[in-house]
Amino acid sequence: MSKNTKTAVSMDPFQAWCHRWGRVGTVIALVYMIAIPFIVLAYYDSVPSLGEVINLSTVSILLIYIPVGFSEALSYTPILGCSAYLTFITGNIMNLKLPCAANAMKLAGREPNTPEGEAISSVAVAVCSIMTIIILALAALLSTWIMPVFELPAVKTASEYLIPALFGSLTLGLFASTNSGQKVVKNGIAGVVPILVIVSILALAVRILGGGSLFGAVGFLILFMLPIAIISSRIMWKKGIIKVVDRETGE
Amino acid sequence: MATMKDIISSPLLLALVAGGLLYIVGFSLVYLKKAYTRCLELGISKEDLKSVIKSSLIFSIVPSLSIVVGLFALITVMGVVWSWWRLSVIGSLSYETMISSSVATAVGFENSAQMLEQASGRQFGVVMILMSVGMLSGFLVLIPFGKKLSKSVDKSDTGNTWKYVLSGTFMLCLFAVYIPVLIFGDTVQMLVMVTGLIIAVALGVLAKRPGLKWLNEFIMAFSMIGGMVSSLLWVSLFR
Repeated sequence: MSKNTKTAVSMDPFQAWCHRWGRVGTVIALVYMIAIPFIVLAYYDSVPSLGEVINLSTVSILLIYIPVGFSEALSYTPILGCSAYLTFITGNIMNLKLPCAANAMKLAGREPNTPEGEAISSVAVAVCSIMTIIILALAALLSTWIMPVFELPAVKTASEYLIPALFGSLTLGLFASTNSGQKVVKNGIAGVVPILVIVSILALAVRILGGGSLFGAVGFLILFMLPIAIISSRIMWKKGIIKVVDRETGE
Repeated sequence: MATMKDIISSPLLLALVAGGLLYIVGFSLVYLKKAYTRCLELGISKEDLKSVIKSSLIFSIVPSLSIVVGLFALITVMGVVWSWWRLSVIGSLSYETMISSSVATAVGFENSAQMLEQASGRQFGVVMILMSVGMLSGFLVLIPFGKKLSKSVDKSDTGNTWKYVLSGTFMLCLFAVYIPVLIFGDTVQMLVMVTGLIIAVALGVLAKRPGLKWLNEFIMAFSMIGGMVSSLLWVSLFR
């Protein structure tokens, strides 16, 4: 047992590198990002006063986005592991980086939260980040010529449905990934049944009452539902409803 | 007195954005090299890595093109350089598009188009600062607690089975929130999701056939494109 505990404390060299230098690189990028507006505005003698930046109407906007940021960090970091630093810097997590990392782990047959899984998802996230930056750079440079194509109604409509389409293709991977690795989690989905019930009722109620879709409020929902999912999974694991078995036993 | 138009077409802004993007590309390349080397050390074959890189490149194209649609929407209200920068870092397509319009009203304009025409440099400064700091809250969690959050679900400690359960709970929770919202919130979203799933399942079955194993690398990209394209049909039927 003491041997097990010792193994748990040691960290894979790549994970250790990410948590040290990935963090440093992230802080540098953050400082740079915040500095850009101030440098440009100072050059044009246009730095707004603190009162102009922080007032009732601007704070009310920020209050909408601050919980979304917390929600993303709390829910995505445990899935992404040490690739989270690069992922958060380049953004577009749910619509690009997270599915890309999940796809990579599935292709290589590795599990999240293992040294192999985190290294392979880092490869995917890095490749994906570079690709996106190149595509966006080309689009920005060629905007005058290519903008009409991207303003076609059909292209705009299809783009609006990226997330639902992604979830369709990701659902398959979700079930496939639980079958890889040395251990298998049996009935893991039972832990999130309360979430499925609560969110279904909420979504139906909002739609019936004419409020449309909860799609724009997903960030908030995840923030509130995550603790419920963890507590419920923990209870079911303790009661033996959710089990972790060796892959051989599980088959 | 500088106007918003002076700032969004500023060569200084362009130079700073170019510098920032080069830094991020460099950061990604270092990450890639380190991760690639570690993958080889951990016994992941070069073939598997090649397949992952190829699949990631192909998969990235369509979501990136969706971001390009957003980029052009943003360009019309914020100019090329600032929009380009904002969509290349931190935020997300939906966040940047939403905050740009809500901030325009917060600084006193009816909409973003009016802001582009009439805003002073200081007013646009408020927009730039708010867009830059708005999504930083995630980093207040990631930087101090990223390591702890990652290790909380680390599966290296095989004696602790709860970590296996917890590790899967985060992804399951995302699905448990998104799927009912997509199914019950909007008919077209539901149909697009189901179409994507059906294509993924069909391709998964096909990929098991001899000679079609290569399809595995494309399942996600193809099913996503298929789902998105199907939205045109569903919109015409249900909207």
